[in-house]
Amino acid sequence: MKCDFCSGILIALFAFAVSCKEDDTATAIQSGHISLSFLHLVDGLPLQKDTLKYINAAGNPYEINQVMYFISDVRLFKSDGSIKIINEWTDIHYVDIDIPATLKWEVYDDISAGSYDSLTFVFGITEEKNKSFLFVNPPEVNMMWPDVLGGGYHYMMINGKWRDTSGFVQNFAFHLGIGQLYKSNVIEVDSIYAFVQNYFSVNLPDSDFTIEKDMKIDIEIVMNIDSWFNTPHIYDHNHWGGAIMQNQPAMQIAKENGYDIFSTGDIQQR
Amino acid sequence: MKKGSFLIVLCCVLISLRINAQKTNDTITLETVEITDSLIKRTPFVMAKIDKSQLLSVSVSDIGEYLRKIPNVSGIRKGGGAIDPVVRGFKFSQLNVVMDGGIKIENGCPNRMDPVSSHVEAEDIEKINVIKGPFLLDFGPVLGGVIDLQTEQPCSFQKFELHANALLGYESNWDGQKGHLSVHGGNKKIYFRLNGGFRKYGNYQSGSYDVESATYNSSFKKYNFGAKVGFTLTPKQNILVTFAEVHGRDVLFPALTMDEKSDDTQIMAIDYSAKNISKTIKSFNVKLYRSQVHHIMDNSNRENWSGKQMVADVNAANTGGKAVMEMKFNLHNVTAGLDFENIFKDGTRTMSMQMMGTTSTKKYNLWQEASIQNAGLFARYNTHIRAFVIDFGLRADFNKADSKDTLKIIYNGVDYFNKLNSEFINLSANIGIIRNINKNISMSLAIASGTRSPNMLERYIKLLTIGYDNYDYLGNPQLKPETNYEADLTIKYLNEITGNLYLNGFYSYVNDYISAVLLPSSVVMPATQGVPGVKQFINVDHAIYTGFEMGYTSPQMYKPGGSIVAALTYGFIPTVTKYTITENQVTGATIIKNDALPEIPPFETTINVHYRFLSGKLIPKISYRLVAGQHHVSEASFEPETPGFSLLNVSLVYKVNRTIGITAGINNVFDRSYYEHLNRKIIGTTEKLYEPGRVFHIQINLEI
Repeated sequence: MKCDFCSGILIALFAFAVSCKEDDTATAIQSGHISLSFLHLVDGLPLQKDTLKYINAAGNPYEINQVMYFISDVRLFKSDGSIKIINEWTDIHYVDIDIPATLKWEVYDDISAGSYDSLTFVFGITEEKNKSFLFVNPPEVNMMWPDVLGGGYHYMMINGKWRDTSGFVQNFAFHLGIGQLYKSNVIEVDSIYAFVQNYFSVNLPDSDFTIEKDMKIDIEIVMNIDSWFNTPHIYDHNHWGGAIMQNQPAMQIAKENGYDIFSTGDIQQR
Repeated sequence: MKKGSFLIVLCCVLISLRINAQKTNDTITLETVEITDSLIKRTPFVMAKIDKSQLLSVSVSDIGEYLRKIPNVSGIRKGGGAIDPVVRGFKFSQLNVVMDGGIKIENGCPNRMDPVSSHVEAEDIEKINVIKGPFLLDFGPVLGGVIDLQTEQPCSFQKFELHANALLGYESNWDGQKGHLSVHGGNKKIYFRLNGGFRKYGNYQSGSYDVESATYNSSFKKYNFGAKVGFTLTPKQNILVTFAEVHGRDVLFPALTMDEKSDDTQIMAIDYSAKNISKTIKSFNVKLYRSQVHHIMDNSNRENWSGKQMVADVNAANTGGKAVMEMKFNLHNVTAGLDFENIFKDGTRTMSMQMMGTTSTKKYNLWQEASIQNAGLFARYNTHIRAFVIDFGLRADFNKADSKDTLKIIYNGVDYFNKLNSEFINLSANIGIIRNINKNISMSLAIASGTRSPNMLERYIKLLTIGYDNYDYLGNPQLKPETNYEADLTIKYLNEITGNLYLNGFYSYVNDYISAVLLPSSVVMPATQGVPGVKQFINVDHAIYTGFEMGYTSPQMYKPGGSIVAALTYGFIPTVTKYTITENQVTGATIIKNDALPEIPPFETTINVHYRFLSGKLIPKISYRLVAGQHHVSEASFEPETPGFSLLNVSLVYKVNRTIGITAGINNVFDRSYYEHLNRKIIGTTEKLYEPGRVFHIQINLEI
């Protein structure tokens, strides 16, 4: 009887030791880190700001002065079928070509080692999160979208100039955010009867990569700015005018043109 | 104009009262004026006692400012006044600050623009007791210490008498003006005390000794009035009814995101006391009270007001009571009682932003009908056996909290802000033994465990900068109470000829220490402009506070005299997470071992020297304060180091006659530019708020 009792204790201790060992193995997660870099091209070359040197598919001579936008809900699709959502610390990232610190997102999340097939993200901010006062500090707060026009924040602001058919250089505010539908096409706040969420998902082409334990990978995300005006719709500034915040058809074209504006640049081990 | 009228009226009232008093009775009852040192002979723990004469001998703009003169008591400055006391590194609700032995005030401001001590004016104070450590359990749950602010009480007279005290003071630098009038009198059946005062201070300038001085937007206005009426029911029984109001207007805080627009406090209390009821029952006291605070703050004095407005409006109330019975069985003294408090808090913050020609407005709840109830039973036993004095205390609290918040933050399966109610039963106890080695030397050891439940802020605050580190804070309704296990060893040498000396060492182990941790921005974003992120209150395993205090006071029998005090607190936390922040992005986290606790004052010593001329009627004083740099700072909190400094103050106290007393002096004689380690940073900068430069002050005290 006494012996049975001792044996029982020994078995229990052994079982405990084995289970501890298994736990230790299980908790040792092999992971690395990624960062996302943002590059902005026009016609395949790095953007040169404030120079009226570009011509879009509609034949508008134009220049770019400012580019600001949000990407959010980045997802990494692993080869084993699992999905890693980047949200442990930040799930929305702001990019501004005039603020170098925003051109690199050092992702806090641990990325488990292995092969990843692709990377997707939301261009803009989803309806669930895009609420007024989400940001209260600059620079993000400067992306505020008026409450009467749907609230929240601009998904994107591209500010620039184009030369119109009369030869005058005019400003354009190619802004994307929550759209509005107006009764009888009367563009007044009181005529708004519905809002349209214009954010969209981007599947970054050729974004597959492999990450090993303690490895750091930098993925370059390239915005081809000229593509906003070219494909699949030709966007003519002379037709749509300078401001499109209250012009849902124009924003719809921008949205549909936006699906293919991003490409993958270099994927480098750091 | 108003001020001038007030002074004229005040003088007229005083003159008329003096005439009145002389008519009724030529004998003027003088309060016992006794300068009490900080050595309390019969307690096994350290207790500092300040009486009215000490408060009148200096120019005090704020009680918190005066408390900083006590060894190991410091204060957090955010503006011109309302300095928040810190005792041995313990602060906020870790200290139990009570008024008149039991009245509690729930501060309205989440930024602590109005600590409890700011709701009581220095001129109304008769005595302040500061008990360091969780050794006095009669006033409620306590973790780090008790500050008992005892206001002046009316007293009965055999025949009707009328007396008055008045005070007028001026301080240069910030054009500080203050006035106070107190009228008291009555007969043996009914007696009363009426009091009122004002305080108006402008912006102050820092010193210019070695750098260019800076002017801080630190002005404030306060006024207060109150009445106490006592009734003698029988020679052994009394009832006292108290009503007081304290109002603050346009109180500016350069180290906070907003300024106090108005703060209106009402305090009501009724006390019943019976003495010498029987041979055994020495006294029985019952107190019922209610205090309520309405606090409004905004950023209308800030540059960003035109584009972004913030207004916070908070109502807070504390209703409670206590009953205490003191008994004596031969050499055994027993005190037993119960107390109760119900804290209520409700408040909103309205934010407006102008952008693209439109205005967006949002209203946040800071608290939503949040309440905390605490009911406690306590007992204290004291006796002496031969050369030993034994002191024993016990307390049990039932604490319950709830809120009507609708906010839920659940992210990735973690409840950050969800279940709102909580209940705790907390036990606190202490034992102290004094061994009188001979007639001069005694040694005492006091051991205690004091538990306090989380406060309103720690449980329910929503996204406001309330700490020292410029982060928004989020409450945690599921916080556990924190417990301080403390040991104090004190050696006292008391000698009427050579003076009094004491040395104390303390060690505190705070279990379930309430700290805060940075939350991911994917969980919650800050709601305050200029804030980099959100921290949430959490319990961490433990923190350690240790240190010492020592003091020497010269005997009062000689004309020259003085004192020297020195104190040090050393606090650290064994394990803490430090986040790596690069280009405003959190990119990683590391564990730091034995990191310093933030907001711990450095070592300091003060030497006071005085000489009694004219039988003590004229006393010049010199005070020299030396403060070491604070280099033991929290790495995880990115707390900056603070350089040391020295400071010379001189003053003169002149008691002209029984009626008139004058105090004058110079603070910061050399106009040093300096800041205390606990001073907060100027909002939007990394620069600390400096202390005032040279201040000339004069104060006239009238008493009839």
